[in-house]
Amino acid sequence: MGFFEVIDHTADWALRVYGRSLTELLIHAAQGMNFLMATGLDAIPLTETRQFELDAYDAEGLLVEWLTELAYWAEAESLVFTEFEMTAVSPTHLSAIVRGGTAVELQKHIKAVTYHNLEIVQTDAGLAVEIVFDV
Amino acid sequence: MKRGDFKRITPYIYEIPQAFRHDMRVPARFYADGELLAMALDDKSLDQLVNTATLPGIVKYALAMPDIHQGYGFPIGGVVATELPDGVISPGAVGYDINCGVRLLGTHIDREEIAPHLDKLASALQANCPSGVGRGGTIHLKRHELERLVEQGGDWALKNGYATRMDLERTEENGRLHGADAGKVSDRAFKRGLDQIGTLGAGNHFIEVDVVDEVFDETAAQRMGLFPGQIVVQIHCGSRGFGHQVCTDYVRRFQKVVHKYGIHLPDRELVCAPLSSPEGQDYLAAMKAAANYAFVNRQVLTHHIRRSFEETLRRKVHNHTVYQIYDIAHNMAKVEAHEVDGRTMQLLVHRKGATRAFGPGSKELPDVYRDIGQPVLVPGSMGTASWVLLGTAGSMAQSFGSTCHGAGRTMSRRKAKKMVRGHELRVELEERGIHVRAGSMAGFAEEAPQAYKDVDRVIEVVHGAGIAKKVARIVPAAVVKG
Repeated sequence: MGFFEVIDHTADWALRVYGRSLTELLIHAAQGMNFLMATGLDAIPLTETRQFELDAYDAEGLLVEWLTELAYWAEAESLVFTEFEMTAVSPTHLSAIVRGGTAVELQKHIKAVTYHNLEIVQTDAGLAVEIVFDV
Repeated sequence: MKRGDFKRITPYIYEIPQAFRHDMRVPARFYADGELLAMALDDKSLDQLVNTATLPGIVKYALAMPDIHQGYGFPIGGVVATELPDGVISPGAVGYDINCGVRLLGTHIDREEIAPHLDKLASALQANCPSGVGRGGTIHLKRHELERLVEQGGDWALKNGYATRMDLERTEENGRLHGADAGKVSDRAFKRGLDQIGTLGAGNHFIEVDVVDEVFDETAAQRMGLFPGQIVVQIHCGSRGFGHQVCTDYVRRFQKVVHKYGIHLPDRELVCAPLSSPEGQDYLAAMKAAANYAFVNRQVLTHHIRRSFEETLRRKVHNHTVYQIYDIAHNMAKVEAHEVDGRTMQLLVHRKGATRAFGPGSKELPDVYRDIGQPVLVPGSMGTASWVLLGTAGSMAQSFGSTCHGAGRTMSRRKAKKMVRGHELRVELEERGIHVRAGSMAGFAEEAPQAYKDVDRVIEVVHGAGIAKKVARIVPAAVVKG
C-alpha cells in the first residue's frame, strides 16, 4: 500500500489516499496535494512554521478543513509545507505544527477541496479515501 | 448507467425516468445526440445528474446540457430549478468559481488590418492582464473598499473609471446583483480577494483574440456589431479566490445544516438549505457578493485589454476602440419567473456550467437585444471555434431559459498531460497562425483540444433542440493563458 495515488477525473484532479490511522491519512493526503501543486518538493526549505487548530463536524470534514488550510497558504503566500507534526488528532479536531517554505513555482492552483462522495473507508490494510480537488 | 436507461424524447432529448432511482423527485433530461450520450456514459456525469434530481423542491426536470461532464456533486453542464419559498439553494450546485463567465468584446478592425500587429498585441495582453497560479493584480484594495466593490459590482467599476455605461448595460444583471452582503462573507474570502481583482487565474481561463469566421443570423449579428473577418476578444474567468472561499465556507456550514432541515442526499457536495431559511439567505447574499466580484474582475480585465489595444494599435489601425457585446455568467443561482405547465412560478435556477439564455421579449435584457433575445457566449476548447448564440422562446419553454456553456471535457487532465506535450501543442497552434502566450506548459497541455468534445457538435444539439440559435462562429487568432 502506497501513501497516495492520482486517479482519473474528467474535469479536475483526484487522489486516492491511504493511511494506517487517521493521523497518517491526513499526512499522506497533504503530501498527495503537495505532489499535485508543486514540483521540486525536496528543494523547499524549512524556513516557515505554522500551528493549526482545526475543528470539523466529522473526520471527512476534518480532512477537507486540513487540506483547505494548506491550499490557502499555497495560494496566499506560495507556502508549501512538507513536514507535519500532528500533536493531537480526533475525528473532529486536530492540532498540528507544520514546516515548509516558499515554492519556486506552483504548477497547479487548488481552487477548493470538495466533499464529493467523500468517505473514509476502513479496509484490511487501514483507512482509504478518495478526494476530488477543484482546479 | 447504460444506454438502455434513457428514453429518447426527441432527436436531441434523452430522458431518465423518475422511476430509475427511488430517491429521484423528478425525471432527468439530457440534451444530446447519440454520440454525445455515448461519450457522457464514459464518466460519472449522468450519475451526478440523477443525484441532482433528488434535491428538495426541484421542479419539472433535472437538466443537463450537451457539454456535460463529470464535476463534483453537480455535473458541469447542469441546470436545476427549485420552487420558492422552500425549495433549496445549494452552494455546490453553483460551484466554487461563482459567476465564472464569458465576456465578448467587439472591435472595428478586421483580420487583415490587425495582422502585422497581432504578435505585439498578444504580448501586451499577457503583460497587462496578470495570469497564472498565485499571480496578484495591479489593483490593491483595502478591506473596506473591497466590501463596497462586492456590494456594488459594476457600479463600483463605473465610479472608479473601469467601466462605461454601455459596458454595464450589456452585462447580465448590469453587472450588479442586488442584495449582496459583505457581512455574510468570511475574513478569509476578503483576504484571498484583496489583490486578485483584474486577474485571470489559471486552469481553463483565458483571454482570446478571435476572428468572426461565419455569420448565421445577419440581423442579430448586425445588432451586436459582428461582421465576417472582424476581430473580437473573449474573456473567460470568474470570482477567483474570493468566490472559491465563499463556496468552501458555505459547503462546510451546510454539512450540519442539512441535518437540521432533515435533508437526505446521495452526495455530501450537494449540501443545501431551504432558500427561505436563514442559512439559505446568508449563502444567497454571499454568493451575490462573489458574483459581483466576478463581474468587476472581467470589467477590470476589459480595462486592461483596452489599454493593450491603445498601446499597440493606436494610430496603426483606423479605430482601435473596443466595445462590449455581452457578458454572461455560467456558474450562478438566480431567482427568476418561469412558466411551468401553464403557471408562472418563482424559481431559484441553479446553472453550473450552463448559461442563461433568455428569449426575445425578456424584460431582463437591455433595449438593444430585447427583441432578438439574449446573446449567449460559448467558448470552445483552446485552438478551436467558439460560438455566439441567442436565447430563444424554446429555451424559455424547455430549459428554464438556459443553454450550454462550452465544449465540455471528455478526457481527464492526467490523460491529456500524458498524451500531449505543452511545447508541441504550442508549436502546432502557432503553425496554424494562432499566437500563444502561456504561463505554464503543463497547464497548457491539460487544456489541449483533444481533451474536449467538438464544440460544433454541442452547438448543433442546442440549435437543433431549439434552446439557442446560431448567430456567429468565431475562430482564435491569439490565446493568452495562465
